[in-house]
Amino acid sequence: MSATPPQPDLATFTGNRGPRAQNFQWSKIVLPIVVAILFLLAWDAGVRITGSDIFPKPIEVMRGIIQLIQRGLLLKYVVASLYRVTWGFTLAVLVGVPFGLFLGWYGWAFQAFNPMIQMLRPISPIAWIPVAILWFKVTDKAPIFLIFLASVFPITVSATAAVQNMQPVYLRAARNFGLTQFQLFSRVILPATLPQIITGIRIALGVAWLVVVAAEMIAVNSGLGYLIIDARNAGKRYDLVVAGMVMIGLIGLVLDLLVRQLEKFDEVRWGYANR
Amino acid sequence: MTNAKQPAIQVQNLWMSFPGKQAGEQIHVLERINLEVKAGEFVCIVGPSGCGKSTLLNIVGGFLPCSQGDVTVEGQPVAGPDPRRVFVFQENGVFPWLTVQENIGFGLLKKSVAERAGIVAHYIEMVGLHGFERAYPRELSGGMKQRVEIARALAANPDIIYMDEPFGALDFITRLKMRADLVRIWQSEKKTILFVTHDIEEAVQVADRVLVMSKRPATIQNIINVDLPRPRDLDSRGYLATRDEIFAAMGMSLRIGESEAEAARPNGAHAPKPQGLIPN
Amino acid sequence: MSLKRTLLVVAVLWTALITVLHLKLNLHVQFFGPKPKVEATQKFRVGFIPVTCHLTCPVTDFINKNMSGESFFEPIRFNGWPEVKEAYLSGYMPATFLLAPLAMELREQGVPIKIVYLGHRDGTALMVNKDSQIYRLEDLRGKTVAVPNRFSNQRLLIYKALKDRGMSIKDINMVEMPPPDMPVALRQHAVDAITSGEPFMGQTELDGYGRVLYLTKDIWPNFISCVLVVSEDAIKNRRPEVQRLVDGIARSGKWLDQNMDHRMEAAEFVAQNYYNQDPRLLRFVLSKPPDRVKYTNLAPLKKDFEEIEALAVESGIMQGTVHFEDYVDTSFVKDDTAIQPYAWEGKKP
Repeated sequence: MSATPPQPDLATFTGNRGPRAQNFQWSKIVLPIVVAILFLLAWDAGVRITGSDIFPKPIEVMRGIIQLIQRGLLLKYVVASLYRVTWGFTLAVLVGVPFGLFLGWYGWAFQAFNPMIQMLRPISPIAWIPVAILWFKVTDKAPIFLIFLASVFPITVSATAAVQNMQPVYLRAARNFGLTQFQLFSRVILPATLPQIITGIRIALGVAWLVVVAAEMIAVNSGLGYLIIDARNAGKRYDLVVAGMVMIGLIGLVLDLLVRQLEKFDEVRWGYANR
Repeated sequence: MTNAKQPAIQVQNLWMSFPGKQAGEQIHVLERINLEVKAGEFVCIVGPSGCGKSTLLNIVGGFLPCSQGDVTVEGQPVAGPDPRRVFVFQENGVFPWLTVQENIGFGLLKKSVAERAGIVAHYIEMVGLHGFERAYPRELSGGMKQRVEIARALAANPDIIYMDEPFGALDFITRLKMRADLVRIWQSEKKTILFVTHDIEEAVQVADRVLVMSKRPATIQNIINVDLPRPRDLDSRGYLATRDEIFAAMGMSLRIGESEAEAARPNGAHAPKPQGLIPN
Repeated sequence: MSLKRTLLVVAVLWTALITVLHLKLNLHVQFFGPKPKVEATQKFRVGFIPVTCHLTCPVTDFINKNMSGESFFEPIRFNGWPEVKEAYLSGYMPATFLLAPLAMELREQGVPIKIVYLGHRDGTALMVNKDSQIYRLEDLRGKTVAVPNRFSNQRLLIYKALKDRGMSIKDINMVEMPPPDMPVALRQHAVDAITSGEPFMGQTELDGYGRVLYLTKDIWPNFISCVLVVSEDAIKNRRPEVQRLVDGIARSGKWLDQNMDHRMEAAEFVAQNYYNQDPRLLRFVLSKPPDRVKYTNLAPLKKDFEEIEALAVESGIMQGTVHFEDYVDTSFVKDDTAIQPYAWEGKKP
């Protein structure tokens, strides 16, 4: 082409915001902290005004967390919960993504399996607790099973929808080049659906972490869910109940931030609206 | 490459209908289509929107089976898409998860790494994307993306390129430029191009021959030879006459504000007699 | 790095790391050094819930560990009745402490289960809020009362108490609630009265908002709420272990009732090592008054169970198709009076 002067591309506009970029970072970190502080103050004031000596003040929860750290329990419990979520969730991804792609690609399979999936999907993991105990006894397998159940459906459904919503032009473009079925899958279908699958995975990880409390109601003797249930047994230790809640929330936040990093990779960034 | 005698593309008595909304109802889209494209020729198909131009191109490209008729490409009946013929789509088919160079090299998996790199570099240079090898499509403008798609098609070294309104989504200036570039590339690469567009000016600017389709159920109504030297002067009398000839063949007026009845009059003031009508 | 490779590397490393940490911290797996001896048979597991009704379970475990360095069974802690029952049904543990009427009902439903010993006698209270106007059982009319489970003896206790006063269970509004949630519910006036095993009743008293409406010893002396049950399979195939367990539980019970020092000692080590509660709580309920809960005279007696059975049938939670001989195995306690308490004086200097 006759020496085309490189056109100004979008990257130069989105990548470099100049002085405004720093402004942006500032509000991204400081504003949430301000909100958190306001929340803590409101919480503290709420407890003081109502004069409740059952619901703990933030400082009491902080002391509870420190006590847990000192007794070496916090690390143990966090590790136990993360272990169960990791395995339950990994299994859900390993089963849900291929199965979802399969359902999305073969219309007959979708018709055959979708009603069953939609029927199983709304059943709360709590309802599965008795089944989990009967099948897996009181071992780590039972909560892993519950977490698997909670996360496998959102993953499957999002992978299925990703294939069904895939722009047909990618498939047609690929068919131009005479790919085998396997090449078509690995070089086109998977990368084309990856952004939506990752979004599904992110949602599912949130769900998986959400059910950890319920999953640890089974007689396992470690984990953040166990911490909450154990603290209820321990008489008036609601500081520990709230400490467990706070830890679950904080770790959930970190998990979400980590998964969000996946969305920044070049292979999938095209699939998300400019953020 | 095909031998010179044999047409690159031959369509004989092609019919196409789709099932309608009601049971048993059939919508006839294409009727009794006959066309021939010679090897190395640049042929445009124009027609009113919704007439079935794209359907015809998809059938020839092997993406759609026809209801009735014969489609022969390079001496063989069409059974599906074939890597020797590449399709360039109206909606951009560049893979957003690959870089520019990965996109262009997409069809070259069987080649060695070094060979592939050479071909990719050649076509990046040809379409003027030097410096954007590692850019992702989301970082490119619409025109640049369309160039990537064309380069990807060329890199696969096909005999024939099918183009379905490839510049439809671009702005006017970019479109003009892309047409010029496409003709230049076609001249150097000696490919056969079958090009669908609704833009009559575009057809006259690029094609050797223009096939004009009628309204649905569509058939080929006129074949107009664009016997103009390249590079084409868009102000020359020959260019304007050919353009007006196509406008007239499509029953359109060139005067904004004219009543529809006047405009639709077959032998309007501006239109020379239709010629090259396919005998039915 | 590409997305695929990053994902793979991070996922594998993370899974490996968290698994190793979990095995190390929570399952106490030894990665280096000598492997611990693999036991020929699995230790006899016994389920319990952190209530005083099951106190003999951790006490036996603790005393055995301290006297012989090792316990002959493994106590498994649960947090609620449904979980204990399901874990037992799954075959995870051959023995557990369980609500007496629940054990009887399971037997009626065809579960091969036998009651071999009692957990305790008494040890239940009915608490009302200190500032409520409820001073007699009759005042409960129209009020909401929380019980742990429909198969709990606490429910039968209320049934009996109301019947004795010419009232019926329909006169009150009964709800099921896990015992750990009861104190807060009472305090926040979510319910008018609560009844379950200790220490949750004592907790409301200790924290100053609960008042005892009655202790079980006042209306149903020698009340039984929990029993030790064993599967028929274990009775047939692991008889020596069952015998050892029953003997141990019996000896612990006698040890607990030997003197107040033993009880205070037990309150201390059980609260810390097994129940994870404030030791004050257990000290309180084990001493105020001392006969709030009793751990002697725990051999299952026919007349006690016939009374429970009759009440259970009458109140509609059992059909009455099984009887004492079906759900109790008395063969493990030949002579309860002959059993001697553990000769252990605690770790005090």
